[in-house]
Amino acid sequence: MEQPRTIFHLDMDAFFASIAVLDDPSLAGKAVLIGGTGPRGVVSTASYEARQYGCRSAMPMAQALRQCPHALCVDVPGARIRELSQAVFAVLDTFSPLVQPLSVDEAFLDMTGTQRLMGEPRVVAQRLKDAVRDTTGLVASVGVAPNKFLAKLASDLEKPDGLTVITPDNLDATLTPLPVGKIWGVGPKAQAVLSRHGIQTIGELKAMGQAQLTEHFGDRGTQLFALARGIDDRPVVPDRTAKSIGHEQTFGENLTRAQDVRAVLLEQTERVGERLRRQGRTARGITVKIRFGDFQTVTRSCTLDRPSHTTDELWAAARGLFDRWAASGFRSVRLIGISAGPLASEGDGHAQAPLFPDPQHERRRALDAAVDRIAQRFGPRTVHRAGPADPSG
Amino acid sequence: MKVICDRGALVSSLGLVGGVIASRTPKPVLTCVKLTASAEEGLVLEGTDTEVSVRLTTPRVEVAQGGDALIPADKLQQIVRESVDATLTLSTEQDVARIVGKDSKFKVFGHPPTDFPAVTTFTGEADFTIAAGELHRMVAQTLFATARENSRYAINGVLIERTGNKLVVVATDGHRLALARGLCNTDSKETRSAIVPTKALNLLLKLFDDAEETVHVRVEDNQILFKTDQAVLGANLVEGNFPPYGDVIPKDGDKKATVATDALVSATRRAGLLTNEESKGVRMAFTADGLTLSSRAPEMGEAEIAVDLVSYEGDAVDIGFNPAYVLDALKVVDQSEVELELKGSNKPGVIRSGPSFLYVVMPVSLQ
Repeated sequence: MEQPRTIFHLDMDAFFASIAVLDDPSLAGKAVLIGGTGPRGVVSTASYEARQYGCRSAMPMAQALRQCPHALCVDVPGARIRELSQAVFAVLDTFSPLVQPLSVDEAFLDMTGTQRLMGEPRVVAQRLKDAVRDTTGLVASVGVAPNKFLAKLASDLEKPDGLTVITPDNLDATLTPLPVGKIWGVGPKAQAVLSRHGIQTIGELKAMGQAQLTEHFGDRGTQLFALARGIDDRPVVPDRTAKSIGHEQTFGENLTRAQDVRAVLLEQTERVGERLRRQGRTARGITVKIRFGDFQTVTRSCTLDRPSHTTDELWAAARGLFDRWAASGFRSVRLIGISAGPLASEGDGHAQAPLFPDPQHERRRALDAAVDRIAQRFGPRTVHRAGPADPSG
Repeated sequence: MKVICDRGALVSSLGLVGGVIASRTPKPVLTCVKLTASAEEGLVLEGTDTEVSVRLTTPRVEVAQGGDALIPADKLQQIVRESVDATLTLSTEQDVARIVGKDSKFKVFGHPPTDFPAVTTFTGEADFTIAAGELHRMVAQTLFATARENSRYAINGVLIERTGNKLVVVATDGHRLALARGLCNTDSKETRSAIVPTKALNLLLKLFDDAEETVHVRVEDNQILFKTDQAVLGANLVEGNFPPYGDVIPKDGDKKATVATDALVSATRRAGLLTNEESKGVRMAFTADGLTLSSRAPEMGEAEIAVDLVSYEGDAVDIGFNPAYVLDALKVVDQSEVELELKGSNKPGVIRSGPSFLYVVMPVSLQ
């Protein structure tokens, strides 16, 4: 029997408008419209204050301003959006290896089988929200459910700052009263057809037979029949074009010795290298993230000589970044993390050979291949690098 | 201390010294410029980040009273730059500096001058001397090719190697290598080499304002010193080994093309328009009939540009290059024609401009 799935859907609340407020706190609590102000400008996001006046995404800016004349129009630079989007996804990556981005501010996470390791889904979802807020200062809504359809529906139910869990127990009670328009793929047209049959809510839709639905909606009818019952077996497909692969770890107690932090970083680097090789990707650069006891965070990045997934080469870069930081004044560390990216595909066209070939390169690749094979057979980290020598024993 | 300075001259001097001074450092004295006024030398400005230091004499200064002062560099620079007077009077009392113009009075709190680390002075004989214009050419033709960080090799600096009076300046980032040759004046026959940090050389290029001026160069311990008429620049050398650059300069390129520098620059720029991060290579197809550059960016489009060759020897060859790497070299070439030497599509290419400049660049694979 197949294991019941646990799917999270995370959706940032008024993402663009929230970034505008983050960068200019004087906008907090005000009606803010993000988008072009030209004659054909369209609202890309409205703050919740502006939504009270009926302003919506994709509405012409002129119309939005007629409905809410005192709204402030703000432009959020694309680079800033990308930066915060990447920060959000970096957090998601630490919760599950199966993350499927839907857009810059929305993603599915397959959390199936993590309960023993991470805890109750509701608790984990709250931790995810907290982690996103701690890292970016932005608020997300999370839906937890046995499949993608219900998870996405759930994240919307208590927005903003929502956390909704749909389980087989509350499924019917949650779904029945909702309008059919909440079903993914049911737009105004389908709603009109259903309305003619006196169907407004998902509960009423559920009462329709499969044959009847197929008659009106063709193949889509079968899908509607399933969705009305909360059934959706689409898998979470992690995007192959992930921007980075990383690991980070927060310590229960701050680490006060550089070599202890370095040992954790080495372990993380090995894991990142293994994941890169498994996915056939290479990293163009390495970023090391260090958070102190006082929550201040620094990141240090470098570009690799050439894209690599060789653990020793990733480690040389990560260790260099960490040691340079440590040498400039080590402080006790609360969190350490490594991220490899941007990523390239192994054997990408237009690779440039090095001018000074490294005789060790082939040996390092062979070592990685051997370690990966052992891990495949006997489990991860059956063999791993000994930590950096510890002079104090 | 009290000096009356020409404001324009002081602005440019502070700009140069400011080039080494860190704006954020745990040691506040390192954010300062040290001023020393004396009847003999006029007004001397010093700045250091402990790795690179510079000592500069400011022209057009009248010293009313000798002395010294240590003042936050960026604040002093801002005040002098924003002032409107032709001359400014700068005086100090204890650790407080006063900058007085016709309609303005500034008081800036400084630090005791004795807190400032000693800045290297040029003492002893120079290892060699060289005309500023010649040293400028060699550094400018190589400096761009350095790596931002060290890898196995110390390549985030420029190698200056002297054998007798022959000077070779080399820089590489591991994918391309730039080499400039020149002559210097010295009695020494020995071979000496030093890897100089890029920050120091960037500043050095700005210190030269007269191509005829003589530059004195001396390497001692782990430092290199450059002296011009107005300035002394000192820098800690980059530690580590420079890669064996001689080994990677191909000598067997049997396909030789001569092409007008401007034409190749223009064609490479245009072909580079249709490349992106994933496919940053430009294909160069050399035949006796001419050179064709082509590029393709997925989901964007393609480009093809024909370039006349002045001459071509050898079989036809197709090779891919990162256009940015090719343009970097062509920008520093000072002749109207360049020679390209190639062996095969997966072998390094060489760009030459006369006997004094050579550039080796690894091809990108074209699939």
